Amino acid sequence: MSQYKIIFTGPVGAGKTTAIHSISDIPPIKTDAIAMDREKSDKGTTTVAMDYGVLNLVEGEKIHLYGTPGQERFDFMWEILTVGGIGLILLLDNTRTAPFQDMKFFLDAFSEFIDNTTVAIGVTQMDLSSKPTINDYHVQLQNLGLKPAIFSVDARVKNDVSILVQALLYSLDPGLEN
Amino acid sequence: MSNQPKKPLQVILHGMDARTQKIMLMYFQGACKGAAIIVEELDTEVDIIDIDTLIGREALKKLVARINLRPIIVLSKDPLELENILYIEKPIRLAKILAVFNKAREVIEKKDLEKIVPEIQLETKIIAIENKKPIIKTQEVKKVSKYKTSMQLNETHFSAFIGLMTEINFNDEAQVLKAYYNPKDYYQGYVAAAFTMSKSKDRVIQLNSNWKSLLIFPHNNEIWLDADDKQLRAMAALEMNKATGAKLTITPANLELAMVKEKLERFYDMDAFIWKLAIWTSKGRYPQIIDIKKPIYLQHWPNFTRLVITPHALRIAALLVVEPRTMLNISEALNIKPQYVFVFVSGAYALGLIRQPIKKRNEVVVHPTLILKKKQGLLNRILSKLRS
Repeated sequence: MSQYKIIFTGPVGAGKTTAIHSISDIPPIKTDAIAMDREKSDKGTTTVAMDYGVLNLVEGEKIHLYGTPGQERFDFMWEILTVGGIGLILLLDNTRTAPFQDMKFFLDAFSEFIDNTTVAIGVTQMDLSSKPTINDYHVQLQNLGLKPAIFSVDARVKNDVSILVQALLYSLDPGLEN
Repeated sequence: MSNQPKKPLQVILHGMDARTQKIMLMYFQGACKGAAIIVEELDTEVDIIDIDTLIGREALKKLVARINLRPIIVLSKDPLELENILYIEKPIRLAKILAVFNKAREVIEKKDLEKIVPEIQLETKIIAIENKKPIIKTQEVKKVSKYKTSMQLNETHFSAFIGLMTEINFNDEAQVLKAYYNPKDYYQGYVAAAFTMSKSKDRVIQLNSNWKSLLIFPHNNEIWLDADDKQLRAMAALEMNKATGAKLTITPANLELAMVKEKLERFYDMDAFIWKLAIWTSKGRYPQIIDIKKPIYLQHWPNFTRLVITPHALRIAALLVVEPRTMLNISEALNIKPQYVFVFVSGAYALGLIRQPIKKRNEVVVHPTLILKKKQGLLNRILSKLRS
């Protein structure tokens, strides 16, 4: 049976682990450790290997949910992770100093994968920092010539994460049935 | 003279980058000994603008254009004379800034802002500036409606939630072509007009009616309305005749604002509110201004996690964001009833996301065919799982 996966990426603290936990059918396998890099002040722990969750479909089929390590020193793993991926979920933390730079960094880093599949973007922590707004992100994306789905997301809320993943799937193929 | 310590002046900063804002915060807390605190827009008494930056000069133009002026303090390295504007020459000296703060206080006390600026005295919180977490707006967290996750409607729930247009037979092609409405005839049109005015004047305004007053906060893209969904849905469906329309007025905000303070949960995101109002007004019809025979396109995806997701809305958005199509072609391509397309288009149009490219004379519209993708079965199974 083929192995399919959806990749979750984004900067440290953007909610990748939480988002996977929200929709996974198994308790996610977390590989958090104490953050050693410059991002330590943001989050006590960070994902040094990867997060893993599963969506169990009918007849034993599984969709694997992988969260990339947030720290850039592990970016060599990103390419390996994307092999066989259906699409990319990019999560951005709106309370960070430069979320647009974060967005551009990850869109660049995964550009080949995005070209071959697609991306949907979730902006987290908007209740703590309402600016930039989702419209501000759209302006930035249009400057990059991109029109992906981008939503305000609370990674703890299953419905938010589910809608983001649904948008990713419909972006791949609007002809999918409801 | 009273010996009581003066309440810190509640200020907002414009034209400054995060670093400068942080320096100003430290300056207010340190050298100025709490003479001023940086607050959110709602709580602001005084605007402070650095006009030695481009954004600062733009911000000044906007603030001056406001009818209801709060005291404005301008920081500049060049001498400046502007009516009703307080000026501090750079480099900023403590004595000078404290003197100007006192002048601003006098202006506030004297004018009492003529009761034009809404007296929303929400809890004053100093905006915390932490390492890498520039501004945390604590009041935002209490605005629970603004961050409520979306409701995803399927076809079965559509009629119950949206309502039915019994006078239109959507199976009759001729009736479908005429299944339009004019938002301006409904409450939706008045809210949209009020919001446009609020944005252009850059001020908080109030839409008054025989029903309930609605407040619009343009800076945070918010509205405040003390009504639940059931009440709003009923109001959305009412066609406003001229007599009723005359009773709708737009004024500076003067609502009993203690109520606003107590009901932060009644703040709504403007886009989510407009969207909901539009779909309840539409009930499956399309806005009259859209030519049903011409293609439309979607500027970008709506923020679906905070909107009511009408049946097939995600599919329609995915299709329409890629290339223009007519509404009926979307219905055909996705094999869905036209009213699901119309209701989506109504919501998206109300948010300003729908555009209709100008068709040249005799131009034939060719719609690309949807090609079945390889993994369709798998993707459908994932969708079923997510929606179960």
